[in-house]
Amino acid sequence: MSQTTRSEKKRNQILPAIIFLIPGFTLLFVFFLGPLLYSFRISFYQWNFAHPDRSVFVGLANYITQLTNPIFHRAILNTFAYTLITVSLKMVLGFFVALVLNQKIPARSFFRVAYYLPVITSWVIVSLLFMYMFSGMGGLVNYFLKDVLHVISKNIMWLADPILALIPVILVDIWKGVGWATVIFLSGLQSIPMELLEAAEVDGASPWQRLIKIILPLMRGTIVFLIVVLLLGGLNSYVPFQLITHGNPMDQTHSILTLMYRATFTRMDFGNGAAISYLLTLFVFALSIIQLKLLNKPIGE
Amino acid sequence: MKRSKFLYKAVSVLFLIVGLGIVAVPIWYMVSTAFKPQTMVFEMPPQLWPIPSTLKNFVKAVTTDHFLLYFWNSVKVAFSATILTVLVSSMLAYAFARLTFPFKENLFYILLLGMMVPPVMLIIPQFIISHNLNLYNNLWGLILVYITMNISMQTFLLRGVFENVPRDLEEAAMIDGASPFTIFSQIILPLSGPGLAVVVINSFLYSWEEFTWANVNIADSANRTLPIGIALFQSEHLTEWGQVFSASLIALVPVIIIFLLFQRYFVQGISTTGIKG
Amino acid sequence: MKKSYLFVLVSLMIVMSVVLGACAPAATPEPAAEAPAEAPVVATEVPATEVPAPVAIRYWHTMSDAEAAKLDEVIAAFEAANPGITVEATRYAYGDFKTAILTAIAGGDVPDTARMDIAWVSEFASQGALMQLDGAMPDFDTIAASVFPGPLSTNKWDGHYYGLPQNTNTQVLVYNKASFEAAGIAAAPTTMEEFATVACALTDTAKGTYGFAEGGTYFWAPAPIFYAMGGKVTDPEITTATGYVNSAESVAAFTMLKDLYDKGCLSPNLLGGGIATDAGQGTGIYGMIIDGPWMVDIYKGNYPDLKYDFALIPAGPNGTSSVVGGEDVVILGGSKNAEAAQKWVSYLMSVDTQKALAQVGVMPTIASLTGDASLPAYFGIFMEQLKTAQARVPSPKWSDMDNAINNAYQRILKGEQAPQAALDQAAAEIDALLVK
Repeated sequence: MSQTTRSEKKRNQILPAIIFLIPGFTLLFVFFLGPLLYSFRISFYQWNFAHPDRSVFVGLANYITQLTNPIFHRAILNTFAYTLITVSLKMVLGFFVALVLNQKIPARSFFRVAYYLPVITSWVIVSLLFMYMFSGMGGLVNYFLKDVLHVISKNIMWLADPILALIPVILVDIWKGVGWATVIFLSGLQSIPMELLEAAEVDGASPWQRLIKIILPLMRGTIVFLIVVLLLGGLNSYVPFQLITHGNPMDQTHSILTLMYRATFTRMDFGNGAAISYLLTLFVFALSIIQLKLLNKPIGE
Repeated sequence: MKRSKFLYKAVSVLFLIVGLGIVAVPIWYMVSTAFKPQTMVFEMPPQLWPIPSTLKNFVKAVTTDHFLLYFWNSVKVAFSATILTVLVSSMLAYAFARLTFPFKENLFYILLLGMMVPPVMLIIPQFIISHNLNLYNNLWGLILVYITMNISMQTFLLRGVFENVPRDLEEAAMIDGASPFTIFSQIILPLSGPGLAVVVINSFLYSWEEFTWANVNIADSANRTLPIGIALFQSEHLTEWGQVFSASLIALVPVIIIFLLFQRYFVQGISTTGIKG
Repeated sequence: MKKSYLFVLVSLMIVMSVVLGACAPAATPEPAAEAPAEAPVVATEVPATEVPAPVAIRYWHTMSDAEAAKLDEVIAAFEAANPGITVEATRYAYGDFKTAILTAIAGGDVPDTARMDIAWVSEFASQGALMQLDGAMPDFDTIAASVFPGPLSTNKWDGHYYGLPQNTNTQVLVYNKASFEAAGIAAAPTTMEEFATVACALTDTAKGTYGFAEGGTYFWAPAPIFYAMGGKVTDPEITTATGYVNSAESVAAFTMLKDLYDKGCLSPNLLGGGIATDAGQGTGIYGMIIDGPWMVDIYKGNYPDLKYDFALIPAGPNGTSSVVGGEDVVILGGSKNAEAAQKWVSYLMSVDTQKALAQVGVMPTIASLTGDASLPAYFGIFMEQLKTAQARVPSPKWSDMDNAINNAYQRILKGEQAPQAALDQAAAEIDALLVK
């Protein structure tokens, strides 16, 4: 294409681009960016939610309060550990389930629905059930370990321990999240031409070779998408922490967002709540940029 | 060759069945609890099926309050939000995948920001806006916010899908004088079935189960959605767990239907590159 | 690449600095242009209008199904008696109520009236979200004089009243009669020494039963024992916790609980992930629990065959005590119909309304109704307990104080600190809250 036609083509695309972008960005500006800036402002105040005019500007005090709070540090640690473990396990398990479900096997639709079911179950109920399964008084897990496998002699008080209490939180997320990763992987697998795999098979490539040489490289986009989305979801995790541990024992099992909820909706301290959100958002933003740079080709090229 | 393939499949199925066991335990708990008369009592060793079992939780859940109305409101909200999310995010994704325009990267990062922010931090300003636009107490207030909170991720997903659509078809069409709109609706969308199916499934699930925004934006019980209705089985001192469990089971049905309908799009064979076939 | 995301951040910062720099706090950014707080102030200052225009009063609450059905009757009666005023009641799930009401206040579209947890009133009042009732509501003094002083005190903040106690409750000892018979215990314990003995007598490690169980470590759960043992959280003026939450009496209360826990007589469920108190007592696992009047409905619904009874909280050195619970009715500062709202609040506080709601288990706060024949019989023990029950600290910092005690209790149970050391730390934490 010559230089002139290319620039002409570009110019021709501006009007269509505006039309394609307008509905989405109108919504984003009204319901997302506006609110985002409003919260940013709150984070610099000792905010009075009933009478904003009585709020006191405190500069970075809310940020400093959080950054020097040991409970916040612990929450960061919990959130990172949780994210690292759940994202990697969901990726690996989801990928293998998708590979298996992508074959022509008996009762494929049944398996697909069965593996997707956990995704759609109610968080409230599932968290409650995991809590009961990990009950320190003869829950299913203790029963299994003590009376079936005989590996422990005394019931373990899972939820009374700051580290052990995170196990049901992590497991419930993996249990609930593998199905979603599977669905994304399954749809990504569709972009791999069958002919390519068949040709490789004819050439005598083992399933493992096909996986490494063909499937993984071609699934790059899907993998990038999943890593980004799952990481963001993990760092923004709230529900399983809130419903299973409530931060107990001794405020050692919070996630960043359970602290944000507590600051905002229990303690009515909107300024600190907003500051926590922004600390998280800034971190996540930086992380996403790094991820996208490492994993993806630059957009618009 | 044939034999090893058979073995490979057998191992796969075995893997699936073992996994199914793990998936099934909490679900079995969930179902059997809904049929228990005394819901929050878990026997050890576990019973396979609660004796006595009862349907009373389901009957009570459906007949209490305005369960059917809440259900219907949720259907309206989830369908509208899903259709509009698919439309809006596929338009955005097309622009980012194929068109050239100024500030493209900046706009894309603004869009991505939508995935990074915890939605709760926006809830109060969103409420103020909703109130000023007369969307308070209105199902449209839910629908518009659900689309907004969901398009970032879905656009991100679809951009990747659209980029995988081979360019040769488009270029041929462009030479024939087709506009971007024609290319979008006649070429890109039809070739992105699996991706769009995922967007439908994601959007429906999100708007079907969203709770926090629905709880603050709707005060009139005639406009409440199902998650709020289910939460109402929990009053301060007394939670009707039997009804919570049975209502939650009922709430699964529409999502399963949507999933069943759309998962067909990612059955191997209608690969996006299989244009010639 | 690098330039572009920097651009996003920088442009966000620029917009923000403009917003921050140009606006005094009074001028909220564009979305909040209609300053939410202005209208109500005007509304309350408008002199009484001649002819009441038809107004709709919004009332938010967290009642149960049965209570809400009764409330509908109350509303119908109110509307019949007050032509031109209608009441739109909205029910919320308790766990999500605070979020909804906070957002409504922050967003400037408030319900006129609400029934909220007694522990919230001072928090909301301290932010100016509630209407001061003394001196504003014509019959406030009459109503205030007719109710129990304990529940009334929960409405006080900074010398004024911001609500009225719509209902009250307290916790008493609930015991499983079958467990008592099986252990050969004739009557409920009346002193704390007896209580500790009975709790262990009812415990059978082999069968997995426990003499006593609490629902958690949050203050409400141990509060009856804490108060009955003479414990205090702060001084009456709410200026310090040192010498109160770590006093000898407070320490003795937690020492007793720790002792029961160590002996296995107090169920470990309170540290999380155990059998809930109602399910445990309903199935014969827990001999005694401490809970409120709603247990009557819970047991009727879930364990109709359970034989149980209530008793006063066992007496400590200075006799029995317990903790006051319940809800207050408030008028929101942003209400545009303050006058009609006051009528509705008065109506909710009337003898007839209180009697009507009592039929579905809502305990009245009007002192003259004590012993009234129309009240359910089981109210008797709770009304008796209320005479000595104490309100939690009416402070906007209460949820933080609760958290400090909760964490101290957990450290005690887990053996990480001795009761005295744990409560000393809690006292320091609470003192730090009170300084601010």
